[in-house]
Amino acid sequence: MNLFPTNATVEPAQISRSTLRLAITGFTLTFFAATANAADVRKEAKLELAPGGNITIVNGSGSVALRSAFSGRQVVVAYTTHSDKVEVDLNTTADKQRVELRTHAIAGQKPTPDEAKVDFEVAVPPGAVVNVNTVSAPVTAEGISGDITLSSESGQIEVHNMAKSHLHIRSMNAAVSLTGINTTHVDVSSNGGPVHMSNVVGPRVVVGTTSGNVDYRGDCSGGGDYIFTTHSGEIDMWLPKSASVEFSAHTRTGSVENEFPLEEKPHPNLPQSQGRSFAGTSNSGSSSVELDSINGKIRVKKQ
Amino acid sequence: MNCQQFQEVLPYIIESGGKPEEEQHLEGCAACSALVEDLRYIAEQAKLLLPMHDPNPRVWNNIEQSLHREGLLPATEGRMSLTGHLTKTSTQAKNWTPLGWALALTAVILFAVALNNYTTRQLPSGRFSAQNVPADPATNMDGDDQQLIAQVAKDDPGARGAYENSLREVNSYISDAERAARQDPDDPYARELLQQAYEQKEMLYQMATARSLP
Repeated sequence: MNLFPTNATVEPAQISRSTLRLAITGFTLTFFAATANAADVRKEAKLELAPGGNITIVNGSGSVALRSAFSGRQVVVAYTTHSDKVEVDLNTTADKQRVELRTHAIAGQKPTPDEAKVDFEVAVPPGAVVNVNTVSAPVTAEGISGDITLSSESGQIEVHNMAKSHLHIRSMNAAVSLTGINTTHVDVSSNGGPVHMSNVVGPRVVVGTTSGNVDYRGDCSGGGDYIFTTHSGEIDMWLPKSASVEFSAHTRTGSVENEFPLEEKPHPNLPQSQGRSFAGTSNSGSSSVELDSINGKIRVKKQ
Repeated sequence: MNCQQFQEVLPYIIESGGKPEEEQHLEGCAACSALVEDLRYIAEQAKLLLPMHDPNPRVWNNIEQSLHREGLLPATEGRMSLTGHLTKTSTQAKNWTPLGWALALTAVILFAVALNNYTTRQLPSGRFSAQNVPADPATNMDGDDQQLIAQVAKDDPGARGAYENSLREVNSYISDAERAARQDPDDPYARELLQQAYEQKEMLYQMATARSLP
């Protein structure tokens, strides 16, 4: 008895079975894809904002992306929810001075972490006061200006291309990345997250961390005050040879390295300690750079 | 002038200002500067203890009538007992003289100085916490920190670890920065680090508080 017939008569049945399998697989994939996105809902809104008005965004998880609005009076909001267990409240005060976007769970619902996520894209009018507060949602800001405060526990914070603004950033463990920031007051406080700066220039740039590393690349010449402090993080600065900077670097129990030839100040604030501090002027010293740590390394290098 | 010499003349400084030598010490010493600031705050608050004005007599009459209606005031005590008692208390408050205020203020200042010195002797150096509550050496956290963590963990158990680590690190920062400021009271960089350390802790508390908002 031939249990495994190989004649041509079985071929039509095999083809038919293969086709059926393929169809079933395709249908299943399509079904799962459709159900996975069934809860995704995208909504858009345009909200009037008075010049210099305040925008507050509170979003625990998901993401927040800010960009510059074309109109000077409108906040354009687009957001995507991934579950019907959360909703977004959009509120505007009668005088248009304040807009608030707030994510919250619907009463009686306990969304999972994935269900609680909401993704925001917000176009911000120039000169607005913006406050963003998240827990794990990353925050991205591109090309906006105004008085901007971004705060997150663990969501990465990235700011690109900002000018003539005030930028305040607070992070618990999230990485902070600033690129192309000009003529802006910058104030960054990060507990454990690293702070990366590239071409960040302003009249006052203050960065403080507890254990997060701080690195700066660019030319900070131009008359500003740059103050970087840390407990146990490392501070690295890469500056061009032409940098016009007055340095002052101190560490308690860490170490310092410097590649720039410095002209010593005639009356330094404190006596210098070999390997633990250095101070002096490079070129004409137009900007002031103060680097302080308790036990983190401080390195100043030429680009 | 050291801190001990400064604190011996502290009551005099608070009441009538300090000499240049004392002012110089104050500018260079974060600990004494904070103490003077606290004492001046106490002195300012003490001024608020001014005698209160009596309310209109009709208020007392209405209260008395209400108490009679409720049966809470015996008829024999009569009108004079209630109003008399209350007025007497108020009159006593008005009898405070400038000398009395000066004595009370001096007592408050001396008490604060004594309290400060007592605390300094009790706790070994480097063990001060942000809220003057001894930190648990095992966790490097004081009562406020533990309360904060408990509150955060109640709402989001997954966040406990991150807050514990961050608070432990920032308390270590504060402890080291305080030690540096004590070793070199004239070092402006040490004071800058101490200020930054406290700002780091403030940030953590603000983040935790923001979580609990609706």
